[in-house]
Amino acid sequence: MLSKLLKQEFRATGRIMLPVFGALLILSVLANFSIRLLDSSAGNNTVLRILAVLVLVFFGAAIFGALIVTLWLMVTRFYRNLLKDEGYLMHTLPVSVHGLVWSKLIVSLVWFLATGLLIMLIVFLTALIQSGTNISEILAQLPSWAEVREMLASQGIRSGDITLFCAEFIALVLVGSIASSLHFYAAMSMGHMFSKDKILLSIVFFVALSFVMSLLTNLLGFRLHDLATLTVENGDVAMLLFYMRRLLLFSLGVELLQGALLYFATTLSLRRGLNLA
Amino acid sequence: MPILECIDLSKRFGKTAALDNVNLSIEPGRVIGLLGPNGSGKTTLIKLANGLLTPSDGEILIDGEAPGPKSKAIVSYLPDKEYLPDWMCPKQLMDFFEDFYADFDRARAEEMLARLGLDPAQKVKQMSKGTREKVQLILVMSRRAKLYLLDEPIGGVDPATRDYILDTIIRNYNPEAAVVISTHLIADVEQVLDEVIFIQNGQILLQSDVDSIREEKGKSVDQYFREVFKC
Repeated sequence: MLSKLLKQEFRATGRIMLPVFGALLILSVLANFSIRLLDSSAGNNTVLRILAVLVLVFFGAAIFGALIVTLWLMVTRFYRNLLKDEGYLMHTLPVSVHGLVWSKLIVSLVWFLATGLLIMLIVFLTALIQSGTNISEILAQLPSWAEVREMLASQGIRSGDITLFCAEFIALVLVGSIASSLHFYAAMSMGHMFSKDKILLSIVFFVALSFVMSLLTNLLGFRLHDLATLTVENGDVAMLLFYMRRLLLFSLGVELLQGALLYFATTLSLRRGLNLA
Repeated sequence: MPILECIDLSKRFGKTAALDNVNLSIEPGRVIGLLGPNGSGKTTLIKLANGLLTPSDGEILIDGEAPGPKSKAIVSYLPDKEYLPDWMCPKQLMDFFEDFYADFDRARAEEMLARLGLDPAQKVKQMSKGTREKVQLILVMSRRAKLYLLDEPIGGVDPATRDYILDTIIRNYNPEAAVVISTHLIADVEQVLDEVIFIQNGQILLQSDVDSIREEKGKSVDQYFREVFKC
């Protein structure tokens, strides 16, 4: 049933996110023309100049806007689909609350990643095109994997350490993103258990949960004290990597714990305290 | 086995008891009117049966089990809300129902849409209130469910639509299924009911066959209801 819920969720969110991505791509192309225009002699034409600057302003706003829309969609899909009138449809489907929550989590995560990657790609390509560098030149200048490995080995780092570091980093991004969504979901689910002031209470729960979560992080934070006494000598890459991996693993552990608690709060509120108006 | 059973069922909101120690049993193959004034607990009872609320005390069983994914697969529920996503059209809604409900009969839904002249491509957002209610009812009645829970299905519609809705309910329901219709507009539904449940202040006042009310009391259900709930 999860796959059916995911299909429905992608259908409901895609009709908003895909046009946003389309607009972002079109504006990025226009922005590239604008930069070129401003650099060229045609850029002396005032009207064209104003137009080009406007396009660049819109491009900047669109990047920011895409991030806002992704966040807004994550919150409002959960709110409208599970806690308002559409909840009468969703909560009477023959699916579990876990399926409902995971479908929202997974789809939000996918859109977060897609938006982030698309923005990075657009900004990178714009910078590349404007700097006039040929991509093959850059690639040619990059050291080969064997060279990188040799360089790392001279610092006492095995390539496996780098793989682990990357895997931990990706895990932290995924778990952290899911935990952030759950922070909103838990607050809204708890606020909507009450008959009145549901939105106000959701905000109160959001703040209360933030407080509890930071308390939790601080309580666990003493485990990091030994790191504070470490000094990273200039150029000691192995030690720096060790330091960063400790920090990554600690953050990953904290996010996992927070995510689990918030997930429990969300599903319990929906199962036991659902109170659709 | 009863399709719906309440055992010492209570639901409280704060200090107010919306349902107070309800004991009730509904057998398949009947059309039952859940009748009571506004605020008597009809909607609370139906929401409990759908797992949209959790009992404060006692239990409610659908086909012998507490509400959950299994019971939801055999219950077809019409809430007294406009609950369909407004960006969808009937065609997408039929895909949705077909996906989630194994008992959804698409051909039947398409036939009813066509008979009412409804456009399968029109977005819910662009429909009138009456059209939305018709689409909701068509979707709900196109399932071959074991239990239909219809909350105020004729509340806000014109008399012609009202007749169509009652006709749809009677023609479409599976003889093995039970249909529970909650309403306070008794005269309109009386003709289709086999059985009535009178509910007031969260308590069941009476559960009886329509025929025995007519024979024993010599009154129509509507007349009897007015007598019982006299202000």
